[in-house]
Amino acid sequence: MPRPLDSPVSLAAAPVVFFTGKGGVGKTTVACQSAVISADQGRRVLIVSTDPASNISEVLGSPVSDSEADLVRGHDTLYALNIDPTAAAKAYRERVIGPYRGILPQDALDSMEEQLSGGCTLEISAFDQFASILSNPNTKDFYDQIVFDTAPTGHTLRLLALASAWTGFFDSSTTGVSCMGSFEALEAERGRFAAALEILKDESRTSVVLVARPEPVAMIEAERASAELRELGINNQRLVMNGVYHPTDATDPIAVEIEADQVRALNDMPDSLRSLPSSEILLSGNSPIGLAALRAFPDLPIGVPGSSDVTPTPPGNALSFTDLVEDLSSAGRGVVMTMGKGGVGKTTIATKIALDLLGRGHQVCLATTDPAAHLELELGGEQHGDLRVERIDPSIEVMAYRSEVMNTVGADLDEDGRTLLEEELNSPCTEEVAVFRAFARLVSLGEQGFLVIDTAPTGHTLLLLDASKSFHREALAKGGTSEEFIDRLIPRLQDPDFTKVVIVTLPESTPVSEATTLAQDLRRADIEPYAWIANGCFALLDVSDPLLLVRQRSEKRFLEMVAVQSSKFVMLPYAIRSHS
Amino acid sequence: MIEADYLVAKKVRIFDPAMCCSSGVCGPGPDGSLVRFAADVSWLSGQGIEVERFNLTDSPDAFVAEPLIKEVLDSKGVGSLPVIIVDQEIRWVNQYPERSALAEAFGLTS
Repeated sequence: MPRPLDSPVSLAAAPVVFFTGKGGVGKTTVACQSAVISADQGRRVLIVSTDPASNISEVLGSPVSDSEADLVRGHDTLYALNIDPTAAAKAYRERVIGPYRGILPQDALDSMEEQLSGGCTLEISAFDQFASILSNPNTKDFYDQIVFDTAPTGHTLRLLALASAWTGFFDSSTTGVSCMGSFEALEAERGRFAAALEILKDESRTSVVLVARPEPVAMIEAERASAELRELGINNQRLVMNGVYHPTDATDPIAVEIEADQVRALNDMPDSLRSLPSSEILLSGNSPIGLAALRAFPDLPIGVPGSSDVTPTPPGNALSFTDLVEDLSSAGRGVVMTMGKGGVGKTTIATKIALDLLGRGHQVCLATTDPAAHLELELGGEQHGDLRVERIDPSIEVMAYRSEVMNTVGADLDEDGRTLLEEELNSPCTEEVAVFRAFARLVSLGEQGFLVIDTAPTGHTLLLLDASKSFHREALAKGGTSEEFIDRLIPRLQDPDFTKVVIVTLPESTPVSEATTLAQDLRRADIEPYAWIANGCFALLDVSDPLLLVRQRSEKRFLEMVAVQSSKFVMLPYAIRSHS
Repeated sequence: MIEADYLVAKKVRIFDPAMCCSSGVCGPGPDGSLVRFAADVSWLSGQGIEVERFNLTDSPDAFVAEPLIKEVLDSKGVGSLPVIIVDQEIRWVNQYPERSALAEAFGLTS
């Protein structure tokens, strides 16, 4: 017997609440809704996004600062803040360098700035800001509740694990130095990290709401997150099943099929999730934007129908998926990367491109940089000819990097030297280097055939590219490394004939605005997106269920926004996801 | 006796360029010479020599406070780092010495 459902708001009553889950399950909507309703009851609530590609500003319908918490427009007890690693790192650099302007020569300041622009600084300064919010006693006194809307699971687990990783490193290291400086200079940070860890583990103060959808992949992801959280000592967990669908038109075969898919997924729900206090939110016709819509959601699951005279004709310039693959195939080799918001279908589309290229007789490697990707599920556990499958698993890469270093430069050291090196390799920030090196090695595979990369959700993919650029500059400053795959990484990514970025989105508000920003960020990094895919379109299907009709109509303007982005624009029907 | 003690160098201060960690394993590729030098420094301190190591990113104060270093930075630029000071004298500029050279400077057997 399943346990009775709670209301989503009563599930999230702890002083500190994290909303986490796979990309695209509706974390931001559910977190914002919970924060708004809690604040409506007169509580002072702070909502914080830890996603580098945060959407809380769009969903709350209010500007949100990345330096300090501000009141949300139209509310007098709800505050919001974005933790933006880039902004946090910039502030951190200024704290370090500022006092020495005019005292140290400019070239010395420049070299400090360069060193403090790496992935390591990005990660640690964002984590420090996160730990400060959690552990600052003033914050705790001022706010009745802090709600965290987090990045997709893989990266959130890393964020939460950093508290114990750094605390453990501080406790075990004998050299007294770390990438962030000497331990003496880090007294304050050490204190914050330890306090953050304590709060995270305190069941009376912290709860984690796992958000999932009635789909196998989202549930597998929630199950994995749940287990890893327990390993970190975070046991106060809850489950929100978002987007449960009960069609009203039994003659709509697509609606019936979607419901049947959901029922199967819910029947197969892992036991560890079934035993959690849980709640359900019905599927809505369009995603709520702004305070009023969040308050009404999910009592109005159908949403506001578009005017009925809007014909849902898709934009006319769409290419077929086959044409797109044909164009990719004609290059004979190279890197194809699918990018976009979590949950838009990057993995599914990357897999389809890889299999189609394989079918055209190419040598193909399918890889993922997403710690939470499920390539095996997409491939259905089958062997596909000579398809090579790779994944960058940070924990495996770190171990490989550590042993590689110990076996190369560490080989000639005496025992003391080896102990010292081992200790330094245990610093949590070696993960950045290890992942970067694995990524560079992967990209070099595009020289011999096709490498199709399914990337992590936007924010972290951009951070990976940022880190790559900064490692590249560092390598250039030293006159290059002796490793071709490292030195050629950035030139390869910037070569439009070699690297082809396929931006994937759903025809919905947040995925489209995130994709548009992503395209701008890529252009700033001298990478021109190659094609756009609007995935999961109801516009291509013949539906009659009222909710699906609402979806179909609300898609139109987003499809038009995508269609003007590129001459290579492809639409895929909703079915590609439910059949996969 | 006092005189002999005075003659033997006792303290070394290493002023590193801006870097993430002293072995370089956090950089784009591990730097063998940095790793070896980190081990040599640890050996030296095990021999009873007082060793202080400063990284420009982490301890800019130390660079400002030592007139010898400040002067090198102002006249020759940041490219002259690392600079290694033995007692009160600049001994190495823009290089990490071998263990044997360190041993020699401190009258030790490597």
